[in-house]
Formats: sequence, C-alpha cells, structure tokens
Amino acid sequence: MGTMSPRSAAGIGMVVAAGFVLAACSGGSTPEPGSTGAASEGTTTSAITFWDPYPQREAGSDWDKLVASCAPAGSTLTRSSAPQTDLFNQLTTAVKEGNAPDVVLLDNPMMPEAASSGLLATAEQAGIDTTGIDANLIGPGVVDGVAYGVPMGSNALGLYYNKDVLTAAGVDPTSIKDWASLNAAIEKVVATGAKGITFSGIAGEEGVFQFEPWFWGAGADLSDVGSAAAISAGQLVSDWIGKGWAPRSAATDNQSASWDLFLTGEYGFAENGSWFASAAADNKTFAAGMIAIPAKDSAVAPVPTGGEFAVAPLQSKDASNHYANAAAVIACLTGDAHGNATSEALGYLSAKAGVRATQVADNPLWTPWVDIVQGAQGRTTDLGADYVNASAALSEAIQGALNAAGDSSGVESAFKDASGS
Amino acid sequence: MTVTRPEAALSQATPGRTEARPPEAERPRRSRSPRWAAVAFVAPLVVYLLVFYAYPLVQNVAMSLQRYDRGSFVNGGAPFVGLDIYREVIGQPKFWRIVGQTGTFTLISITVQYVVGLALAVFFQHSFRLSATLRAMFLVPWLLPVIVSGTTWQWMMNPDNGALNSLLGVFGVDPVWWLNADHALMSVIIANIWLGIPFNLVILYSGLQNIPTTLYEAAAIDGAGPWRRFWSITVPLLRPVSLITLLLGLVYTLKVVDIIWIMTMGTGTSQTLATWSYAMAFGKGTSSLIKYSEASAVGSVLLVVALAFGLVYVAVQRKQED
Repeated sequence: MGTMSPRSAAGIGMVVAAGFVLAACSGGSTPEPGSTGAASEGTTTSAITFWDPYPQREAGSDWDKLVASCAPAGSTLTRSSAPQTDLFNQLTTAVKEGNAPDVVLLDNPMMPEAASSGLLATAEQAGIDTTGIDANLIGPGVVDGVAYGVPMGSNALGLYYNKDVLTAAGVDPTSIKDWASLNAAIEKVVATGAKGITFSGIAGEEGVFQFEPWFWGAGADLSDVGSAAAISAGQLVSDWIGKGWAPRSAATDNQSASWDLFLTGEYGFAENGSWFASAAADNKTFAAGMIAIPAKDSAVAPVPTGGEFAVAPLQSKDASNHYANAAAVIACLTGDAHGNATSEALGYLSAKAGVRATQVADNPLWTPWVDIVQGAQGRTTDLGADYVNASAALSEAIQGALNAAGDSSGVESAFKDASGS
Repeated sequence: MTVTRPEAALSQATPGRTEARPPEAERPRRSRSPRWAAVAFVAPLVVYLLVFYAYPLVQNVAMSLQRYDRGSFVNGGAPFVGLDIYREVIGQPKFWRIVGQTGTFTLISITVQYVVGLALAVFFQHSFRLSATLRAMFLVPWLLPVIVSGTTWQWMMNPDNGALNSLLGVFGVDPVWWLNADHALMSVIIANIWLGIPFNLVILYSGLQNIPTTLYEAAAIDGAGPWRRFWSITVPLLRPVSLITLLLGLVYTLKVVDIIWIMTMGTGTSQTLATWSYAMAFGKGTSSLIKYSEASAVGSVLLVVALAFGLVYVAVQRKQED
C-alpha cells in the first residue's frame, strides 16, 4: 500500500466534510394529504404534465390522441411514459423534489403504498369523481376509508384456447369446470403432439398476478403463503413444467413473451389478459376462444383486478391549480362521455356498470369478460400496503415451484421457505 | 490501428502522482497572486469531485445509517439507526450465499476472460491474411448494446428450443435448463466471459506489441522453442499489463448488473451483491418493496471491496514505476 501525505489526507477530509454539508441540505417537507389546496380553489394552467405506464402506446396512437384531446381549453398537455415500477420510483422522487406531474396513472396494487407514503392528494381534494365505480374495482384506491383516485377501467385474466388444436384433440372447452378437467384437457392436447399451456411465471408482480387465479382458486389466502392450499396451486403449475405441458421458459417469460408463444399456434391454452382480446379476435393463423380460469373445484376462479388508477400527486407549490388540472383531465378520461373511448383505447372494460353495458353492447368481444371482471378481487384489499411483502414471498415461492418441475417436496419447501422469510 | 501503451495512459490518469511539487525552499519567494491562480485552477476540479463523487458517496453511507422507507424518503424523518442495517443485511442467511456467488462470478469470469484473451492476443501477434478482420470480429461483443447480447443469450439458452441445446443435442447431450435456479450462475458466467474477452484481447494485444521482436529473434537463435519463448519472454514482459487487466476486470466484474438482470433478473444462484443492491434500491425483481437503506448498505460493502482492489492497483502501479 502507498503512504498518504498529510496534505492529501486533509484534502480528502475536506471533500468528505463538504459532502456531509451538501447531504444535510437536501430534503424538504411536503404537505399532508387533504390539508393544503383544492381543485375548486384553483384554475387550470397553460402547461399540464401527464404520466402513464404505457411506453408501447406511442405518439399518434389512439390513446395518445385521446389524452391530448382531454387538455382543457387554453392548456397544452405533455404526456410521458415509463414502465410501472420506474414510473412509481420517478413519482416518489418528483413529489420529494416538489415537481410532480399533474396526473399519473398508477398500477392498482401500488395504490396503498403510494397513499400511505404521502405521495397522493385525496380524490376529494383533487376534484376526482369516484361515484358509480364497482366496489371491487375502486377497492385498491381506498386507503383507511379515503379514496385517492379513480380506476381507468379494468382488465382481467382469462384462459385463451386455440380452437383448431382443441378440435383436433377432441376437447370441448365448455367441459372444463375445475382443475381436474383442465388437466385432462391439456393431457389430451399434448397426446396429439401439440403443446399444452403458456403462462407467465416471471419474478416479480407480473408473475404473481398470473399465479393469483390458481392461488385463490385453491382457496389460499395472501396472509398465509405457506398454506396447504397455496402449495397445491404451486404443485399444479409445477406439474405442467415437469410433464412438459408448459414451456420451462415460463419461469422467465413475461406476459407478452408468453402470448407470443401462444401465437405460434403450437399451444392449446394460454393464461393471459383481456388486453389481448382484440388481438385474439383479429388473429388470422388460428381461431382463438376464451373461457374463465377454473378454480380447484369450480368453474370460475377469482382473478386479480388489473389496471391503473388515475391519481393527482401531492403538490407543495400552486397545489390548487395543479389539482384543477388533474380534475379536468381525469374527468374527461373517466367521465361517462369519454369512458367508452378510454376503455376501447386501452383494451379495458369500464369500471362503471352502466358504461360497461354500453361497451359490451357495442363490442360483443367483451361479453365473456364481464362476469370475470365483476368477480375479480383486489390484490391489496385484504392486506393493504403489506401486500408488497406477501407478493414478494409468493414470487419467491413461484420461482421455486417452477424450478422444482413437479417434484412435490421441492414445491412444498419453496412455499414453506418463502412464507418463513 | 494505433497502439498506445495502456499502462502509460493509465498512469497519467491517476491524479497527484506525476506532477512534481515545488521544493519547500522556493516557497517564500513567491508572491501571493500565483497562489490564488493555482486555487482558481484547482477549484473546478474540486467542485466536480465534491458534486459528483463526495456528495453521492456520503449520501449513500448516510442512507445506510438511517432507516428509510418510501414515506420517509419523501417526507424526511428517517430515524438514525447506526449500524443496525448492516447487521441485518449481513445477518440474513442469504448474505453469505450471495457473497459466495459474487466471488464465483467474478473470479471465474476474469480468469477465463484473461486466459482466452491472452491466447487470442498471442494468436493474433503474427499477422496473417485477414488477421485484422478476424481481430475486429472478436470486438463485436464489446460493440453490441448489452440489452441485445443479453436477450440473445437468453434466447439461445431457452431450455425447450434454444440454439445451445440444439447444438448439444447433436453431440447427444441432454438438454440443459440453463436459466433455472441451479444453473443460472453458470449461464450468466458464460455470457459475461463472452462479453469480457474483447477487453482482455485488446489490452493484452497492445501489450504484446510493446515487446521488442529482437528478444524473440535472439531467443530463437539461442534455440528456444515457442513454448519456452512464451514463458520466458512474453509472460514476464507482459506482467505489468496483465496485472492492470486483471485488476480492472475485477472491479468491472464485481459491479456487473446489466447482463445478469437481462438474462435472469438475479433469480436463483445468479444473484450477486450488485444485482441484489439494484433490486432493493428500485423495488425490482421478486420484491417490489423498495429498500433504500439495505440497498445502500450492500452498495457500501461493494464500494469497500472495490476500493481495496483500487488501492492494490495504485500500489502495484507505484511499485512498477520505481
């Protein structure tokens, strides 16, 4: 090691000390939600910022045009997009720095954490109308009895099937009423030389979202990830990997990758979301259909509610004007006048029963999804902000179960270990 | 292709080493204004160091000593907890497993990268037709964006229909589930070695160019075979360059996140200290709960290790110059 001269040591000391001074200066304080500012006391401003988690919907897309058209007269709306987690992190920093956007679309399981961390203005304060929304869909946005935003609509998971493959295998999709009949159907499909089922088991919330219909369908509860019911759901998907019915890449596939596998036409079934419903209907290479995901002993498992909430971040400067901007844009996007256009642009079902009825009447594509959305369960309803911990444990368990490839002791220890940590 | 001596270039980049200081005796004769001029010249560098090095570093350490969550990150008021976060992080059963994986990843990566890089450098030492073209082709991994090469490796390692398993199948080897929990570390090491070979090749090749050919000619006249020439001329004369290549490789490899994250998201055995810290800092991977303090603590551990090897590097360089 080289020796350090006293002068350079003093220099380093000075640099570090100055760093401490800089560190001490940072960090302001933001107001309490609900206390400062109200949309009714403000006026809309000339520049409005809008963040959403849809980087795939580029400038010029239907969604982009719809958002731009919702800027109030005299205002220009600037829209920017980032993936869900990044958007949440950017929002956290922006609120801390006091330069949060006027409107953010936040994924629904993030709502309790965002609200309890003091990032969001209350719906009342921001002039957001939450009446007429189905209770299961508004649920994730209500924290300690206070509503913090309004759902942009709802998506849900279903079990898509390839009609051509099923016909060749002699499988009638309406005969699938529980896990046993689903497994029997997949076995028949695989016997004809086709492949079984695609799903996404990727680490993180996306894989957990896809696993929850099986988890809840087994009667398991998010407060006990290591329960026997939870393990039986893990065993179900693990067996699909072990028997070669599902691709082993399911452990790393996200929902788009899993959908691409289904589109090859080689698979009989695919668990995926309602946002692919129009893509499935337009598919030219094979005919696709959809049924509800079965529970262990019944035909319809509860699926997690999907979709984003429109929220107004907490503002420390000109709060009332920012909230007035939020109120105007969100009312335009989720109000009854535009509700249907918003749902169609996003591929979601409306969160309001009345608007949903019109939507289904206009586009029969949605008919099979209505019951699924109405029976859907909020991910954070039971646990609130603690959901993230349960989700993390469940994600570890799913990864372990998929890696066990059917080995029952491996699946059991994956769930037991995950619930213990 | 111009060849620069890497160790010469690097020593220039080390501040405070080569500038001669004025002898103390000269001091009193100087007037004040050059002194202020000197301060003015140094000021931009000091400000730069403060803003971009000292501040983030101190902030990182400060964060690891306070218990932050998303709420206290925004509104302030994170309690000071001393070294509690470090105790909790190190006390987790997976901490030492991850340290072991980080060590395996780093050591195997740099060893194989170095050996293969050196073999290729020696191979390209003798010019032949198309040697320049071939050498350029070996640089491809360096030029491709990691998102492209990482995704391509993931696709080639697909357990059901990946190119790698098809190739193994030709030789009658059973398909391997490359990216599952047990094999993930091996898979990311393979991809990382592929990524790192060009760096080793380029630096070692330029080092070889600086060994006078007369030495080889003299040795050949004395009857030394190629093997003897390699061990008695190439290896000792390349030692300074080799040490620098290995030390830089070590620091680079220790902090690799991108290739691992793209291929496995740090699942199974492929979790390293760097990916673990990244996952906790941004709420990515299996847990979407953001853990600012724990991420900073792991980051500080990584910093200390990198700093230790950085000091080894400085010491080695100093010794070589003496």
